[in-house]
Amino acid sequence: MGRELLGLRGIRPVMAAMAGLTLIQTLSIILQAKWLAETVSALFAGEPLQEQYGTAVLFLCAFTVRQITVYFQQSIAAKFAELTGARMRSQLMNKLFELGPRYAGKEGTGNLVTLVLEGVTKFRTYIELLLPRMLAGGFTPVLILGFIYTLDTSSGIILTVTMPILIVFMILVGLAARKQTEGQLKTYKVLSNHFVDSLRGLETLKFLGRSRTHSQSIERVSGSYRTATMKTLRTAFLSSFALDFFTMLSVASVAVSLGLRLVNGNMVLLPALTVLILAPEYFLPVRMVGADFHATLDGKEAGEAMQAIINSHSSEELNEKGVLEPGYSWSDRSSLALSGLSVTHEEGAGPSLEGVDLRLTAGMKIGIIGESGAGKSTLIDVLGGFLRPSAGTVEVDGRMMPSLSETVWRNQTMYIPQQPYIFSSTLEDNVKFYSPGASLDEVKQAVEAAGLGPVVERLPGGYKEMIGGGGRRLSGGQEQRVALARAFLSDRPVILLDEPTAHLDIETEYELKAMMLELFEGKTVVLATHRLHWMPDMDVIVVMDHGRVEEVGTHEELLMKQGAYYGLVKEQEEGAA
Amino acid sequence: MRQEGWLKPYIKAHLGRFILIIFLGVLTAAAASMLMFTSGYLISKSALRPENILLVYVPIVGVRTFGISRAVLHYVERLAGHDAVLRIVSRMRVRLYNTLEPDALSLRSQYRTGDILGVLAEDIEQLQNVYLRTAFPGAIAVVMYAAVIAALGRFDGAFALMTAGLLLILLGVLPCVSLLMTARTQERMKQERSRLYQKLTDAVMGLGTWVISGRTRDFLASYEADEARITRADRTLKRWARIRALLGQLVVLGGVLLMMSWSAGKTADGSMSGTLIAAFVLVVFPLMDVFLPVSEAVEKLPRYRNSLDRLNEISSAGREEAAWTAGRAEATATGPGEAVVSAEGADTFGVADATEAVGGVGATEATEASDAAEAARPAHKPPRAAEAARQGYERPVAAVAAPPAHERPGAARGASALAGAGFVKPIAARPGLERPRAAREASALAGAGFVKPTAAHIRLDQVSFSYGGNAEAAVRGITLDIPQGRRIAVIGRSGAGKSTLLGLIQGAFTPDAGAVRINGVAAGELGDHIPEVISVLNQRPHLFDTSVANNIRLGRSEASNEEICQAAEQAQLAALIASLSAGYDTPMRETGQRFSGGERQRVALARILLQDTPVVILDEPAVGLDPRTERELMRTIMETTTGKSLIWVTHHLAGTEQMDEIIFMEDGRIEMRGTHEELMERYPRYRKLYQLDRPIPVQ
Repeated sequence: MGRELLGLRGIRPVMAAMAGLTLIQTLSIILQAKWLAETVSALFAGEPLQEQYGTAVLFLCAFTVRQITVYFQQSIAAKFAELTGARMRSQLMNKLFELGPRYAGKEGTGNLVTLVLEGVTKFRTYIELLLPRMLAGGFTPVLILGFIYTLDTSSGIILTVTMPILIVFMILVGLAARKQTEGQLKTYKVLSNHFVDSLRGLETLKFLGRSRTHSQSIERVSGSYRTATMKTLRTAFLSSFALDFFTMLSVASVAVSLGLRLVNGNMVLLPALTVLILAPEYFLPVRMVGADFHATLDGKEAGEAMQAIINSHSSEELNEKGVLEPGYSWSDRSSLALSGLSVTHEEGAGPSLEGVDLRLTAGMKIGIIGESGAGKSTLIDVLGGFLRPSAGTVEVDGRMMPSLSETVWRNQTMYIPQQPYIFSSTLEDNVKFYSPGASLDEVKQAVEAAGLGPVVERLPGGYKEMIGGGGRRLSGGQEQRVALARAFLSDRPVILLDEPTAHLDIETEYELKAMMLELFEGKTVVLATHRLHWMPDMDVIVVMDHGRVEEVGTHEELLMKQGAYYGLVKEQEEGAA
Repeated sequence: MRQEGWLKPYIKAHLGRFILIIFLGVLTAAAASMLMFTSGYLISKSALRPENILLVYVPIVGVRTFGISRAVLHYVERLAGHDAVLRIVSRMRVRLYNTLEPDALSLRSQYRTGDILGVLAEDIEQLQNVYLRTAFPGAIAVVMYAAVIAALGRFDGAFALMTAGLLLILLGVLPCVSLLMTARTQERMKQERSRLYQKLTDAVMGLGTWVISGRTRDFLASYEADEARITRADRTLKRWARIRALLGQLVVLGGVLLMMSWSAGKTADGSMSGTLIAAFVLVVFPLMDVFLPVSEAVEKLPRYRNSLDRLNEISSAGREEAAWTAGRAEATATGPGEAVVSAEGADTFGVADATEAVGGVGATEATEASDAAEAARPAHKPPRAAEAARQGYERPVAAVAAPPAHERPGAARGASALAGAGFVKPIAARPGLERPRAAREASALAGAGFVKPTAAHIRLDQVSFSYGGNAEAAVRGITLDIPQGRRIAVIGRSGAGKSTLLGLIQGAFTPDAGAVRINGVAAGELGDHIPEVISVLNQRPHLFDTSVANNIRLGRSEASNEEICQAAEQAQLAALIASLSAGYDTPMRETGQRFSGGERQRVALARILLQDTPVVILDEPAVGLDPRTERELMRTIMETTTGKSLIWVTHHLAGTEQMDEIIFMEDGRIEMRGTHEELMERYPRYRKLYQLDRPIPVQ
C-alpha cells in the first residue's frame, strides 16, 4: 500500500521528516513504558511517592514528547495532503475544460462534479492517514519488539508469533468477505437502488394505480436488503474481530506467562511490567491500519480515477500556441474551408464524419440537414472547436490550422445548441455571459431584440432575477431567447446553431424563427437541423448522411435534382398521411 | 403544528435493541479495561511469589476470559448496532414514501430544481450515522462514566469526585468546546461546499458555453479562489482536531498521574494492597479509549442538521401553506406569452388530499389480494414455486436471490391488504385529511362496487381552475366533450394550461367552477380508480430497475406471460426483445439506460396497453426523439389505441390531421378548435403554423 505516494512531487523531505518523527515517537513510547513501570514497581516495593518524583517527571516528559510528535506528524501530513490535493484538483479542472463538453456528457456531470469535490477530499484524507502510518507500521513494532527481547525472550516470542498469524487471518477473512460481497454485488445494487428508483417513479406508479400498494414492496425489499447486508457484515466484521481477538489473546498470554514466571521466581516485576505496558503498543500501528482501511481504500481509488483523467489524451490543449494572431477577427472578406475532414470518436468505431469538403465565406448561411446520426452535430462541433478532426485540413483566411480549437477563433463564434445552458445566476449576467463588460442599457437592447422584454417585466426581480438551476426555471422558448439575447449582445460574426427550435411548441418556434432570421442579418451562419422549414431561408443546403456530404446546393437546385434532399422532403410528407 | 421528528420516534420504537447495544458496548469497554486491570494485578501478585499457584489462579482465568470476550463482545455489538439501524432505515423509507405518495402527481412541478427525491433518499442513509457514530458511542461513554465513578466511590469518595471532574473534561467540556468552536466554521464550510457544488455543476453543464466564450481562465481562477476559502476553513477544523487530541491525551496523562499518587497514598497508609497499584495505573489507558472519541462524535452533530431539516420539511404540515404561497407567487408572475414554467402544475395539496380521501380503497386492495398469488409468480420460475405462492405461503424464493420485482405483492401481504390494515398512512397533521377514516371507509364501501368501465364519456363543462388564492386562473371556462373513441390533440405554449387541464381530467385538481365528469361521476370522486379509466404516456415514463417483463407487468399485475408478450408485440417490441439474450428477463437497468429513447417509450406503451383503459392521455410522448423515430412511434401508438379515447398533448402539428378535434390553448382558454380542415379554412394563423411543419409541398 502507498507505493504510488512515493511518486508524488515533494514527498522526499516530507518522508524524511516523518521518519525522524517516527523514530522519536518510538523511542518515547519505549521510554514512557520504562519509566512508568519503574515508578509503579518502586511504589509497589513500598518506596514513598516523593522519591519517585524524578522518574514520574521523566514519564511525563516521554508521554508529552510522544503526543507532540503525533501532532507534528499529522500537521505535516495535512499540509502535504492539502498541497497535493490542490495541485491535483487544478490539473483535473484544467483537463476537464480541455476535454470539453463532449467528454463531460459522456462521463456524466454528476460523476465529474463528485469526483472533483469528493474525490479530492478523499484522496487528501488518504494521504493524511497513510503518511504517518507508512513508516510507523514498519518501524515501531520492530523497535518495540527488539526492546522487549532485551527484557524477556519468551514474551518476545509470543508477540513475534502472533503478528504473522494475525495478519494472515485478517487477509484470509478479508478475502472471504470480499468474495461474498462481490457475489452479491448485483443483488445489493438492485436492492439499495430500489428505494430511489421507487421515489423517482412515483408519478408513473400513480398513473398505473400502483402507488399505494408499492409501499409494501418498499418495506419488503428494505427487509431483504437488511438481511443481505447483515449476512455480509457478519463476514466483513470478522476481519476486525480477528485483529481484536489475536491482539487481546496475545496480550493475555504475555500477562499469564509473565505471571507464571514471576511466581516461579524466574523474573522480577520491573521488566514484566514494562513488557505488559508495551504489548498493546506493539499492536497499535496494525490496528490503526485496520481501522482506517476503508477510508484509505476509497481515497486510493479516487486518486487513481483522477489521475486517469489527468493522463487521458485530450483533443485540445488549453495552452496551445495559436495559428491565428491574437487580434484576428472574421471580416466580411473572410473564408473558411474544410477539406477531406474526418472525425473518428473511438478506436474501431466507424467515423462520425468522413471526407467532408465545405467552403464557407463571410455572410453565407448554410443549412445542414439530415437524419439523426448523420453527423450534423459533429460538424458543428468541429466548427465550434469542440472536436479536433482526425484527418483533413481546416483553412481560415488561407492559413492552415490543425483544428479550430483556438481561443481566438472561438471568440469569433457564437454557439446556440438545442438547449442553451442557463447558468444559475441573474438574468442580466446570463445575457452578458459572452460580453461581461456590457452595460445594462446594452443588455436591455439585446433582451428586447430577443423578445424577452415582456418576460423580464413580469419577473419580480427584473434583470436581477435569479434564473437557472438555483433560481427560476425558464421554459424552453425562454431559454432559447436568452441565448438569442446573448448572441445579439456579443455580436460575434459567426453563428453556429444545432437544432435550435425542434423541441419547442410550434407557435414559439414560429416566433423564434423570425427573431433568429433577424439575428442572422450580416452574419455567417451554420445551422444544423432536421426541420425543413429553415431550408428555404438558407443560401446553401448541405445534406448529410452517415457522416458524408450527400448533396450541396440551393433549395431550388436540390428540389429539381430529386436526390437526397428531395427524399427527405418526401418522407416528411408521408409522415403526415 | 405538531409533527413527529425523524430521530426520536425510532429510539422509542427500538428501545430494547438500543439498550442491548449500549449494554454490549459497555461490556466491551469493561472487558478491555478488566484485561489490563487483572493483568496488572496478576503480575504484581505473582511478584510476591505466593506459595501456592492457586492464589493467582483466578486472575489468570480472568485475564484469559477478558482477553477473549472483548473481541467477541465487540463483534456482537457492531452487528447488533447495524441491524437496528437498518431496521430503522427500512421504517424511515416506508414513512418517507407514504408521505410523498399522496402528492405524487405534483412532486415533479414542485421540486423541479435538482433531484430532491434522490437527496431525500440519501438523507435517510445519512441518519444511520447519527446512531452509529454519535448516539451509541455517546451513550456507552455516559454509562461507563457512571460505572467508573460508582466503582471508585466504593474505595474513596473524594477521589471518585476528582476522577469525575477529570473525566468530565473528556465527556463534557471538550465536546462542548468543540461544538462551540467548530459549529460556525462547519456551517460556513458546509454552505461554501454546497455553493461550490452548485457552481461546479453549473460550470460542467455549461461547459460548452464557457469554452466558446473564451472565459475559461476566469472561471478556473474564481473556482480556485473559492476552493482556497474552503481549504482555509478545513485547515482550522483540522488544527483544532489535532489540538483537541493533544488535550485529550494530556487528560489521560493527568489520569495516570492522579491514579498513581492516589494508589501510592492508599498503599502507604495501608488501606489498600500494593498489588493494586499496577492494576489501577494500567486500567487508565483502556478506560480513556471510551471517552476520547466522544468529542469527535459530538462535533459531527451539525452535519446531520440539513438532512433532518429537509425530511422534517417534507413531512411537516407547513408544506401545504408553503406550496399555496409558492403557487400563488408563481402564478402572479405568470402571464400571457411564454409564461414561466413552474407556474403550471404548481399544486395544492389540500385539494389532492381531499379528493384522495374519497373513493374506495377496499375494492382495489381486494383485487390486489386475489391477484397477488398470480402476481407473485416470477416470469419463468418453475410452476411449483408459483403454486406455493398461490396458496398464500411466503414468497418461495429467498428475497436476496430473487430479482426484487417491483410490484409483486406477496400473497401473505395481499391478505393483510384485504383487511385494509397494511396501510399506515401518515396522517401527520394534514388538514385536508381531517375528515378521513370514517368517511373514507364509508366511501370505500360505496366504491367497492366499482367495476372497470369499458367505455368512458368525459365531459368538461365550463371548467375553471386557479392555484389558490387570488392567482390568475390557469384554466378558464373550458368545455370539452370526449365520448368514447374521440381523439383530440391539445396544442399550446408552456404555461398555456395544458398540464392543468390534464390534471383536472385525472381528478388531481377539483375545478373552482364547472365540472369534470367521467361517465357522470366527478373525476375527483373516482380517486384511486382513475388509473382504471385513464392511462398516461408522458415525456419520460419511469422504467424501473427490474426486468422488461416486470416493467410491462406493472400495467396489470395479474397479466399472464402471454398477455405481456402480446402487449410487447403490439408495441412492436417483439423483434427487439427477441434480439436480447435474456429476452423478457433482460434488466432495464437504472432509468432504462440500456434502451434508446424510442424503445423506452415502446416499453411504456406496452405497459399502458396492458393497463387497457378506455382513455389514454399522451403528454408529448415523442419530444426529443428524432423525426423518423417519432413518426414510427406515433404511428404505432395510433394503431394500437384504436377505439380508445385519446387526449394528445403535442408541440407539433404533424399527425394532428387525423384527430377528431384540435384544440389550441392560450392563457387557460381555448383559442382555436376544430378539425384540421376546419382550422385550415378558418384561421390564417393556423395555416401559417402548419406551414412550418409542412413547408414544402411535393407533388
